[in-house]
Amino acid sequence: MNRPLTDCVISGLPQVIPPDFSAIAASIRYQAKTLGLTIESHQDAIDKTPLSFQFATPHTTPITCNITRWNDSKLAPVTENTMQAICGLMSVHGRASGKPQSLGLNYVSTLAAALALQGVAAASIGQLRGVPLSNIHISMASAALMSMGQYIAGATTSEAPEKLLPESTELAAQPPFKSQDGIIFELETLNAEIWKKFWTEIGVDLALASRGWKSFWQRYAKAISPLPEELPQAILNFTYQQIAQICSRTGMAICPVRSFHDRVNDSDSKHVWLQGPWEFLFQPGAKREFSQHATNHLPLSGLTIIESCRRIQGPLAGHLLSLLGANVIRIEPPGGDPLRGMPPLADGCSARFDALNHLKDVREIDIKSAAGQKEIKELVRQADVFLHNWMPGKAVLLNLDYDGLTAINPSLIYAYAGGWSTDSAEHISSSALPGTDFMAQAYSGIAQKIAKASGIEGGSLFTVLDVLGGVIAAQGICVALLNRCMNNVGAKVTSSLMSAATLLCADDFQNLYDPSGTDSSTKSMINAVYATKHEKIAIECHDLDTVKKLTAILSITFAPGTTAFHQQISDRFLLKTAHEWIEIFEQENIPAGVVNEDLSKLQTIAHLQRDLCPGSYTKINSPWSFQ
Amino acid sequence: MPITVNVPTILRPLTHNQKKIEIEGANVLEIIERMEQQYPGFKAKLITNGKEHHFINIYVNDDDIRFGNGLSTKLNDGDTLTILPAVAGGQEKVDC
Repeated sequence: MNRPLTDCVISGLPQVIPPDFSAIAASIRYQAKTLGLTIESHQDAIDKTPLSFQFATPHTTPITCNITRWNDSKLAPVTENTMQAICGLMSVHGRASGKPQSLGLNYVSTLAAALALQGVAAASIGQLRGVPLSNIHISMASAALMSMGQYIAGATTSEAPEKLLPESTELAAQPPFKSQDGIIFELETLNAEIWKKFWTEIGVDLALASRGWKSFWQRYAKAISPLPEELPQAILNFTYQQIAQICSRTGMAICPVRSFHDRVNDSDSKHVWLQGPWEFLFQPGAKREFSQHATNHLPLSGLTIIESCRRIQGPLAGHLLSLLGANVIRIEPPGGDPLRGMPPLADGCSARFDALNHLKDVREIDIKSAAGQKEIKELVRQADVFLHNWMPGKAVLLNLDYDGLTAINPSLIYAYAGGWSTDSAEHISSSALPGTDFMAQAYSGIAQKIAKASGIEGGSLFTVLDVLGGVIAAQGICVALLNRCMNNVGAKVTSSLMSAATLLCADDFQNLYDPSGTDSSTKSMINAVYATKHEKIAIECHDLDTVKKLTAILSITFAPGTTAFHQQISDRFLLKTAHEWIEIFEQENIPAGVVNEDLSKLQTIAHLQRDLCPGSYTKINSPWSFQ
Repeated sequence: MPITVNVPTILRPLTHNQKKIEIEGANVLEIIERMEQQYPGFKAKLITNGKEHHFINIYVNDDDIRFGNGLSTKLNDGDTLTILPAVAGGQEKVDC
């Protein structure tokens, strides 16, 4: 396994960390280890101050990274789940089940850890290119809001904004599906003809199949997919094997919602966990003078990225690199990306699309034509990074594969942000499945983890893996660029939705393969959403002292874990509004947050305003600040 | 019989920025052909080799034409034809 940062060190991460930061620290450690970093932990504990660490390379002065809960001076306690509540993640995830609820994953924490490491890598690149950076800052709130960018865009357009509140969405049948023999599975196709053939064989009326299709393909954008009841009812007449045969005949993809243990039994799982979210392949012999000076105060300014990606994961990676100052040239098909027209619109362009692409230069190129491929190669000749997310095997067919492009530019960072862990057509069986978020959730065990936590049968219709996949793709590119600056090597860096899933399960793998290692998992004694006199409140207590403080404030008997105890809490919360309770809890340092169900109201929350930029729709500001 | 065509943003440069166009036609293909006559380039954005692009959804009122008679789907006076791009996550399928 190639580790790109073996000469670099992270120091100062405390050994003992408060529960709200422990998942971030654990993820930093795991990611750092897989990048080859040496980790020197020498502080004993932190209290309310930021979680800080230093990152040093043999060629740069140390960069200090501060991770706070909020992006302003607010010190109010927060946890993974209360942050999911405040920033609207619970609301989007809850659209499908009709109530706001946690993902049941250390999602914001993992994002924050990845953004922190990406930030220090970028700052080091900046130093090496003449930008005098020594500090970076990110917050949990910034990480959470970054993940919500597309949904917030859709909810805040001036014309016809989406208003999809969990309790006002239609409570109907949703994916996944269940077979006669009780197997829960996901179906996937991006093609209406396949959908039509499949449901015709199942015996469903075409009008019903048509209604189902519209809802099904829009689930990526809206995080809901209300299907006519007749669809899941009809499929119950077939065993999983029969359904798989129909899928095989019609071209529909099918994947059972697998458990983490199913995933562990795959022959590649331990290797993937040890390898980490990225696979690096180095290309020695980079000769070009690539460490040119930055052109402004941002660390990647003056670097050029060529992005040939559609949808979410790849474009988000390009967007994050833009926020770090890179010049991102986005290749779109002649006539432009059709997703530019996806409602709701802001200033004539899909707000959801614009949220991921507004900082990029666009070139319309037909990548299937010889002339288009020649044009891309000319762009690549002068570029620093080429990023794509085509299906496995397509890069070779397009004459735009790693070998071909690095022959033109040996200093190139060739990045692949795919669904599965390879861009080769010949690999694991999963690569026969479409590399989409919901298939990867089902295959990786993430869907079942979410299902268990949420009381549902499958994963989230919030694009959990697309977003994290985009973040780690950008992070891998920054690491490869830093390695190039230090060691004169180009590289191929591969990341995927599956490797994002592995990152989210890193604790589970750790507990399985190396139980003697640090167990970062912090079990909550209370973790729930309650109704109040006005709005809902999310509360999470990690320790006995916090639960005792809570019971004292609520004047109830201390008996955690019992139904009667939770009923007492529910009854008490109805006596005040969520905001009134929050004021009280903040004084006592009890982590709690108002559950924000309406994404258009996020910009009215004082402590989130520095992260948001109102306009024709609300944009999310860069999660990083550099000094 | 006049049909209302809701023109997506991406095609509005072809229609002189018109969002809605009233046009006559007995079925979807006829509408697209007549749009092509008035706004050259329109058809190629929706159809290749006689079939609608897989990344485009065409609706007559609320019904996806692929679940009816495709481009031959008949139209009635006052019907609305809406064109929407499809969306998904994950990796891109490039037809080589």
